[in-house]
Amino acid sequence: MHAHDGELGAAVARAQEGDEAAFTIMYRLVQPGLLGYLRGLVGDDAEDVASDAWLEIARDLGRFKGDGAGFRGWSATIARHRALDHLRRQKVRPRSSALEQDVLDLPGPHSTHDQALESLSTEQALELVRGLPRDQAEAVLLRVIVGLDAPSAARVLGKRPGAVRTASYRGLRRLAKQLGVAGVTDDGPRTLGESK
Amino acid sequence: MGEQQSGGGSPGRRRVHPDGVGHGRASGPAVVLDDAELEALLYAAVLRGHAVDAEGEQRAVAAFRAARDAGVHRARTRRRDDWRPRERQRLARSMKTALSVFVAGLTLGGVAYAAIGSSDTPDASSEDKGRPTPTADAPDRPATGPSAGSGGASGKPGHPTTAQDTEAKCRAFDQVAGRGQAMDSTAWERLVAEAGGADKVAAYCAEQLAAATNEPGKKADESAPADNGQDRSGNSGADRSGSDAAGSGTSGSDASGSGTSGSDTSGSDTSGSGNGAENAENAEKKN
Repeated sequence: MHAHDGELGAAVARAQEGDEAAFTIMYRLVQPGLLGYLRGLVGDDAEDVASDAWLEIARDLGRFKGDGAGFRGWSATIARHRALDHLRRQKVRPRSSALEQDVLDLPGPHSTHDQALESLSTEQALELVRGLPRDQAEAVLLRVIVGLDAPSAARVLGKRPGAVRTASYRGLRRLAKQLGVAGVTDDGPRTLGESK
Repeated sequence: MGEQQSGGGSPGRRRVHPDGVGHGRASGPAVVLDDAELEALLYAAVLRGHAVDAEGEQRAVAAFRAARDAGVHRARTRRRDDWRPRERQRLARSMKTALSVFVAGLTLGGVAYAAIGSSDTPDASSEDKGRPTPTADAPDRPATGPSAGSGGASGKPGHPTTAQDTEAKCRAFDQVAGRGQAMDSTAWERLVAEAGGADKVAAYCAEQLAAATNEPGKKADESAPADNGQDRSGNSGADRSGSDAAGSGTSGSDASGSGTSGSDTSGSDTSGSGNGAENAENAEKKN
C-alpha cells in the first residue's frame, strides 16, 4: 500500500534496538501522514496533538510488534486517542461546514483533473475532508493520507473493515462531487454503482 | 462492498474514462477521476503543505532517548501493540500452546521414565540379599526385603502396592499425627477414608503395620487383587503424598528420589516412607 513501508519497518526494528538515527528516519516517514490525519481531526491544534502522540510513541516503542504498515496503524491509533482526548478537553469539534462554501468556489465546477490538482491547496483539501461526516472523514484520512489498508484502518477506528470500506467509498464519492469532477462511480452501473 | 477499487487501485494511476465519450456527456467534466486518482489528488494536496518541524522532531527524539536509557523499551507487548499480520499472531499463539504441551509431555514422560527405572533394578535386589534386613524387632523401620521384593513383583512394576502405600502413609502419620496442616493433604484424606474415620486411623494403621510386619509377602499379594479398584487412586496418592506434604517437592526430585531408593530394593520402602515423613515434617516447619 505505501511506498516506504519496507524502509519504515527496518527503521522501526533498528529503533527498537536503541538506534536513535533510525528513530529519526521513522519519524520523518510517519509524521507527514500522521499530521495530515490529525489536521483533519483537530485542525490547527494538530501539531500539539502530534507532539503528544510522539512522546507516547517514543516511550512505548519497545512494546510494538509488527512491520512498517503495522507501525503506521499502531502510531495512528495512538495519535487518534490523543486527538480524541484533546477534543474532549477542548470541547471543540472538527470544524465542518463553515468554510465549505468558500472552498467549493475555488476549484471551478468544470475544472479538469490537472487544474483541480494544481489549484487544490492543503487547507482546501483538509476543509473538504472535514466537511464529511465524521466516520467518512476518518476513513478517508486513514486510508488515503496515513496509507492504511481497510483492516488496519478498521482496527484503528474500532470498526469492521466492511464499514470502513463503505465509509471511505462514500466519502471519496462525496469529495469527487464537491471537487466538481466526475468520479467513475457517477456512472453507476459500470463498477460501483450498486451501493448508491 | 463494491469498492474493491479503492483498496486495490494503484495510487496515482490515471486513465481516461472509457465511457466518457460514449455517454455523450460533452457538457460534463472533461476528465474523470477514479478512486485511485482522487486518492492521489488528496494525498498530494494534504502532504504538499507539510513542513518539516525540526523542533517537534527534536522533542520526539529526546523522548525516545530518555525512554531507551531508562529501560522503558523493554516493556511487555500488550494486545493492542501487536500489529503483526493476523496469521502470524495466530501462529505465535499456537507455537506457544504447542511448546507448553511439549514441556508438559516431557515432564510427564520423565516421571514415567523414572518410575520405570526405579523398578528395573534386578541386580541391586540380588546384591542386597546378602545384607542384613530390618526385621520385626525394629518397628520404626519395619519394611523387609521380602516384602519389597515380592510386592514389586506382584504389584504394578514401579509402584508400591496399595498395602505398601498404606504402610508408608501410616508410618508418616505416626510422626505427624495431630500436628499442623500436613493432615489436611489429599494423601491424609485418603488414608482417613481408607481407615473409615479420623479417629480410626491409628487403629487402622496399627493393624496394617502389624499385618505387613508379620506376613509381609502374603499381605501384599492378597491386597493387590482385592484393592484393584483403589489401586490406581492409591498409587497416585503415593505419588502425590510426597509433593503434597512437602509443598515444595517437584516431580523431578520426586522421580530421582524414587530412582535412588529403587537401586536399593530392600530399603526402597523404608527410604521412601522416610522421605515422606521428612517431607511432611518439612512442610510442617514451613507452616
